[in-house]
Amino acid sequence: MSKSKRIKLNKKQSINGWIFLAPATLMIVMLSFVPMVRALILSFQKGTGAKLSWTGVNNYVRMFSDNVFMQSLLNNFIYLLIQVPIMLILALILAAMLNNKSLKFKGLFRTAIFLPCATSLVSYAIVFRTLFSNNGLVNYFLIKLGILETGYSFLTHTTSARIIIIIALIWRWTGYNMVFYLAGLQNIDYSIYEAARIDGASTVQIFRKITVPLLKPIILLTAIMSTNGTLQLFDESVNLTFGGPANTTITMSHYIYNTSFKYVPKFGYAAAMSYLILVLVAILAFIQMRVGDRRE
Amino acid sequence: MSLAACSTPTTSDTTTKAAAATTAGADETTAATAAAGDNTLTVWCWDPAFNIYAMQEAEKVYQKTNPDFKLNIVETPWADIQTAMTVAATSGDYSTLPDILLCQDNAFQKNVISFPDEYVDLTDSGIAFDQFGAAKVAYSVVDGKNYGVPFDNGAVISCVRTDILEQAGYTVDDLTDITWSRYIEIGKDVLAKTGMPMLSMQAGESDLIMMMMQSAGASLFDAEGNPTIVDNATLKAVLTTYAELVTSGVLVQVNNWDEYIGTLTSGTVAGTINGCWILGSIQTAKDQSGKWAVTNMPKLDNVTGATNYSNNGGSSWAITANCKNVTLAEDFLSKTFAGSVAFYETILPSSGALATYIPAGDSDVYSKPSEFFQGDTIFKKITDYAAKVPKNNTGVYYYEARDAVATALTNIIGGADADTELKAAQDAVVFLMQG
Repeated sequence: MSKSKRIKLNKKQSINGWIFLAPATLMIVMLSFVPMVRALILSFQKGTGAKLSWTGVNNYVRMFSDNVFMQSLLNNFIYLLIQVPIMLILALILAAMLNNKSLKFKGLFRTAIFLPCATSLVSYAIVFRTLFSNNGLVNYFLIKLGILETGYSFLTHTTSARIIIIIALIWRWTGYNMVFYLAGLQNIDYSIYEAARIDGASTVQIFRKITVPLLKPIILLTAIMSTNGTLQLFDESVNLTFGGPANTTITMSHYIYNTSFKYVPKFGYAAAMSYLILVLVAILAFIQMRVGDRRE
Repeated sequence: MSLAACSTPTTSDTTTKAAAATTAGADETTAATAAAGDNTLTVWCWDPAFNIYAMQEAEKVYQKTNPDFKLNIVETPWADIQTAMTVAATSGDYSTLPDILLCQDNAFQKNVISFPDEYVDLTDSGIAFDQFGAAKVAYSVVDGKNYGVPFDNGAVISCVRTDILEQAGYTVDDLTDITWSRYIEIGKDVLAKTGMPMLSMQAGESDLIMMMMQSAGASLFDAEGNPTIVDNATLKAVLTTYAELVTSGVLVQVNNWDEYIGTLTSGTVAGTINGCWILGSIQTAKDQSGKWAVTNMPKLDNVTGATNYSNNGGSSWAITANCKNVTLAEDFLSKTFAGSVAFYETILPSSGALATYIPAGDSDVYSKPSEFFQGDTIFKKITDYAAKVPKNNTGVYYYEARDAVATALTNIIGGADADTELKAAQDAVVFLMQG
């Protein structure tokens, strides 16, 4: 094929490609990027409802003297630092266990562990709330087993309320991350494990020295996704603990919702808080990629 | 993409979803308002057994004089109505709103002051506002103008289980016209002799606090709209009383609404203090018929202006800027909710829907004795209470103040210093007011 004809063909294929991409690109720009830019503009304004006026970076400065917002930030980080590592390690272990060729009913186990993340966020939060209420199932068993005299009010004490949220999150999202790891594990050649076993490696050693390093890209992916999800936590705070005893379990998104819809609407301030979440997620993702994505 | 599907939504997603849901539900509404012509009105309200039922009966009453009048009632939860109002007003597009909507009394000040163009001024519409309890009308009055037609009664009552009281040697008269210190005294005795707490309340909610404040005519804001959370002797007295109720065990705190209703229906408490709309829930426990009695709430000790009457909740009808036929809407509300004793007589027996329309209180239906409450004429009683409720100043930033006080209360019960907590609460409210 002559050079000019090839260029023309490439150009034609390239244009075709862009024509196919155009509708989706247009939609993403209109429905995602344009609102994001408008939210950024909104975050530099202050006022009630539609009565907005320019205020520069005042909202960003203000939010650090907002005690409730600072509390919610702390809560989100507590969830992030405790729940995410536990969940990812658990998902990794489960994936390694379920990758065993000779395990029976693998499909059943995988489905059972994955099913929680397919449930409705609101329903599961309400169910957990009922489970841990004063006369709920958990208290019922604790009293029956003689561990407690009367029901312990899990949701009106700070530490237990936070722990309940963490347990709920682990229950819900472990399966989701496990599926990612399982997919990643399929890419590891079985002969590597065989060789390791012949060399006398124990299960733990295989896990630590072979599985985890080879899964690094997937672990990085799930870590970033989990960070993103945990910093944007909403449903559990709203439906499980209602923001918790005296704002000790409220999340940033819940507070942003309150600022927009429950209280007198301050959309500018809400937009600024949302952008802080974006910045935090971006910084944490960057750090994680720096640490985890070193190409050898 | 799976990420979007499984991850928790961002704020913009939540806003978009809320707006989309409202638009989806309102599409039929907008179509209905436009197509059906002049004699149809669209109404948004919640609760099929109460508000919706009342609207349906009102429609029938009005159809007697206007046969081709039609109402299109759309069941909408309060949270969705509030979101729809906020979204419509902020975008400037009122076409998603109905003609008439039901609005919580506590939210009137906030909504009218934040979005003044969204509601129709009803002051000179001919609606007889003087026929309603003054405190009730005051909720929907902003700058001297009326924006709402009062509806359901939120007058506070103290319901007690007379059989449990009897075991401890008390009658309902011992709990009538008393003070909180006497209530706590009796409560401790009942707890000791029967093991039952007198009250249950949802933890982290400040319903009872607000009821106690209003019973003394006190508010969290002054007339100019400044927060009065610190240096508020009544609020401090209220919080101290509440803390004592909890620590003595007379009041048991539960986690959520269902648990609260559960304590009433399964009989694990000896009573409750709440808006009279709680009667509906109490009466679902048919096996407890004849064991309950109604009286007024205790009053605060050593507080000037303390009374045994207060209010919790209640809502009023508002006409939105989207209404194309305001005259029709005003006439409809005027002839039914603000004019027809027969209407109130119809809705009372089956739904227990108590109103704040004073003339209705004089009718025979309202004097009918209730078997559940040992033959007491509770409807008449409650209508009398409603007329004695002191006015309070809700304020625009009501919900901010409520939440801040609830936080302070939780910490105070946990042992924190009251003054520090109240200062923190006021700071939180002032902060949000500045946004």
